[in-house]
Order: sequence, then structure tokens, then C-alpha cells
Amino acid sequence: MATVEIQSPSSVRKVVVHLRATGDAPILKQVKFKIPGSDKFAKVIDFLRRQLHRETLFVYVNSAFSPNPDELVIDLYNNFGFDGKLVVNYACSMAWG
Amino acid sequence: MDISSWDGTISLAEFHVAARALVEKWKRVSSASPPWSWVSCPKQPWVASHEVEGYLSLENIILVSIKEEHDELLSFPQKEETSCSDKEESIDIATLVQSQSDRDEICYYDLHIVYSASYRVPVLYFRVYYSDGEPLEFEDIKKHLPAHSAKTLLDSKWTFITQEEHPYLKRPWYKLHPCGTGEWMKLLFQGDVSLARNGAAIEVYLISWLSFVGQVVGLRIPYEMLNQL
Repeated sequence: MATVEIQSPSSVRKVVVHLRATGDAPILKQVKFKIPGSDKFAKVIDFLRRQLHRETLFVYVNSAFSPNPDELVIDLYNNFGFDGKLVVNYACSMAWG
Repeated sequence: MDISSWDGTISLAEFHVAARALVEKWKRVSSASPPWSWVSCPKQPWVASHEVEGYLSLENIILVSIKEEHDELLSFPQKEETSCSDKEESIDIATLVQSQSDRDEICYYDLHIVYSASYRVPVLYFRVYYSDGEPLEFEDIKKHLPAHSAKTLLDSKWTFITQEEHPYLKRPWYKLHPCGTGEWMKLLFQGDVSLARNGAAIEVYLISWLSFVGQVVGLRIPYEMLNQL
């Protein structure tokens, strides 16, 4: 389980996010990103949506739950991250067009 | 359970297992929050005699306040709650009543999770009302739903809100239509084959499901619920 480091106020802890396609979802060219821990998960969702041009994307962590977009990335990383990163899975459906 | 051929749906018996798991885990990890409870119902005539009928219930909760950013799960202040979250005191339950359609005040949610025999998945039924018990109009409900999540889910083809008669209470409630649920539950679980192999999928089915569906109404699942997911 990841632990929180005590940071000085001036430094922003960055979190490594690893985006993982599941099922038939398209695989991105770049899958690893560093984003500020103080960002909301909504940023990850929006990024994925823009990259993949899909409105209907299921974005989830581990196997499987959907974090609320208002959750902070650092909180998610501290609770569900491992190996120094937060793995974020995404899936979309072909069936519904 | 063979995930590759699984269609994402569950049987009534599996729903009961999943419901029990949700209730127990929620109570264990989230003692400060109001608990989900199982409500048993008189059997419908066509249900086999060994099968229990009922639904999960979480009532009188505040999920969103006026134009909020954070969604908190709070207890309804009027009940004699033995455990009150600290955050309750900071909520000012002042009522601003300007006009019927423009009430800008705290609203309360009743959430029920009911099994749909026709779709073979859980369905979220909900109602929203003001502190005097008056139900919100649908347009006002939409304004109170958390903007980001609700928009996402409601724009999706798979989730939309309809108003229907509650299958047990026989009164109109809102529900999140279940027609896409099997599809997206299958999509979710296909990412982890081990979940299927050791049979743990059913225990976590409802929790996973709720983490998605709950976002439409702003229900936040405590992290401890999600730890084994």
C-alpha cells in the first residue's frame, strides 16, 4: 500500500497514472502520465474522453469500481495505488454503437 | 463463473448473496454512515416458495447540498442517530423558499436497490424530497444531481432515468433504467479473470455496480468498501 510522504507546501506531489485499456478499447500511444495529486479524478476521465473521442467510457480502478470524479488523485493513489502508480482502466462498448 | 461467457447478469439468489455482502461490509467499514438495510416483502404469487423477496434500502439521506462540490453521505438529522458524523453540525439547514419551483434547500434521498427479474440485474430506484416531505419535480431533481457525474451518465446511452411504479411500494419512483447494466458489468469484470475464478465476483458485484450507479445521485462509496476491488 502506498504511503503519503510529508511534503512542504511548495511542492506538489505528483502521481503516476497508468492508463490500461480493457476489452476492445483502443490503446493509447502514451499510457503513463504524471499528474499533480491535488488534481481531481475528473481530469483523468476528461483526458481519456478527449483522447478516445468517446462519450461512453467506463473508467475504473482495480477490479472494479468507478471513482467519483471529485476524488483527488492523491487519495486514490494512497488507497489503491501499487508499484508506485495508480492503474486506471477504461473500457468502452462496441455493442451499443 | 466463467467470465468469458458471462453476460453480466445475476440470478435472484446471486442478488441476495451480493446484497448480504453489501450490507455487512457497509456496516463494518462505515459505521458513521446510515446503513443499507434489507427490506423483506410479501412474496409475489409467481415467485418460487423457497425464494425470498425484498430490496435494499437507504433512506432519508442528504447526498448533495446546494450547488455543492463535494458529495457527503450524511444522516438525516431528525432521526435519533446514535452516531452522528461531525460534518452534520456544519450543514446549515436554512430553508430558502422563493417559489415552488425555485426552492433552494437541502433535499433528501431514498434509495432502493431492487432486483429486476426481466433484466436479471439490480436496479436503482430513488426518490428525492424536501424536508417537509414534498417530492421534487423531475426538472428540479436534475438540477440537484451532481453536475459532472450525472451529465456523464445521463448522456450515455446506457443510463437514463425513468419514472415508474415501485415494484413493491406501488407508488411512482424514479429509476435508473437497467437495460445496459448487464453489458457494462460484463465489461468491468472482464478486466480481471482472477475475480471470476475464485468466485469472488458475486460478493463484489453490487459494490462495483453501486460505485457507478451511485454517481448519478451523488452517493459516495467509502474507500474501505472498495479495498478488495
